[in-house]
Amino acid sequence: MKILIADDSRVMRQIVTRTLRQAGFEGHDLVEAADGAEAVEKAEAEKPDLIISDWNMPELTGIDVLRKLRAAGNDVKFGFVTSECTEEMKTAAESAGSAFFIVKPFTAEQFDEVFSPILG
Amino acid sequence: MSVETVVSEGDLAEMVEQVWVSYLDPEGVSPLLVTGDDGQATEVHSTVSITGSWHGHLVYACSLKAARRSAAAFLAMEEDEVSQEDISDVLGELANIVGGNVKAMLPAGCFLSLPTVVLAPDTASYYPAAERISGLYGLWDAEPVSISMWQSVKQQEATA
Repeated sequence: MKILIADDSRVMRQIVTRTLRQAGFEGHDLVEAADGAEAVEKAEAEKPDLIISDWNMPELTGIDVLRKLRAAGNDVKFGFVTSECTEEMKTAAESAGSAFFIVKPFTAEQFDEVFSPILG
Repeated sequence: MSVETVVSEGDLAEMVEQVWVSYLDPEGVSPLLVTGDDGQATEVHSTVSITGSWHGHLVYACSLKAARRSAAAFLAMEEDEVSQEDISDVLGELANIVGGNVKAMLPAGCFLSLPTVVLAPDTASYYPAAERISGLYGLWDAEPVSISMWQSVKQQEATA
């Protein structure tokens, strides 16, 4: 599977990558985006099977990225890994078509629970 | 509205514990020991601002040694391999994580800024329009670490 990790924090992109590995999801093709606009570009160019996105990013926020992709007819599996978690954000994410919502800080166990049904 | 009624020192401690368990001390051998010493000297300051229904800042501060150790733990590196950029990125992420968790406890309609990190003593970091309203001060392997919340003075006056 090809996975796009979108986060403006280089550190968090590394942590997400490492946590995926710790949760047992190895051997996937990982692509990174450092802001929302790059996430949209890479989603179109790289055609990932899954997008793991931060919420608060420069250029376009994660929810803007999701809405933009859905408006363009892109149904890629998409979810959030973010430090922010309010009911309004969760509702917005769900109604835009988000498949999951993971709150930082997270553990490998949480990744296992969320990604096992998706990554097998 | 005072944020003290919404985010207590106990809440900050709980958030910090989650960060330690997840990233800084997954083995559970060196937790942050709360001392309450708000006079401790710090050398790295990472700030996120919150605007909207609550105005203020969340500041994650620590010594350079604690910052270096944090970066090494986050990035799975040795402490002597850590660069200034690594320290800046990791401290920014720490403030972002705690700030995001704080935001979730505030009334709806708040926005979180991207983090700003300053590698300089606390005498170089001023928040002239804000007043410290709460904080968690402690030692991590004998190195100072703190998380404090600063509320906009203007907002405090408006709601007084």
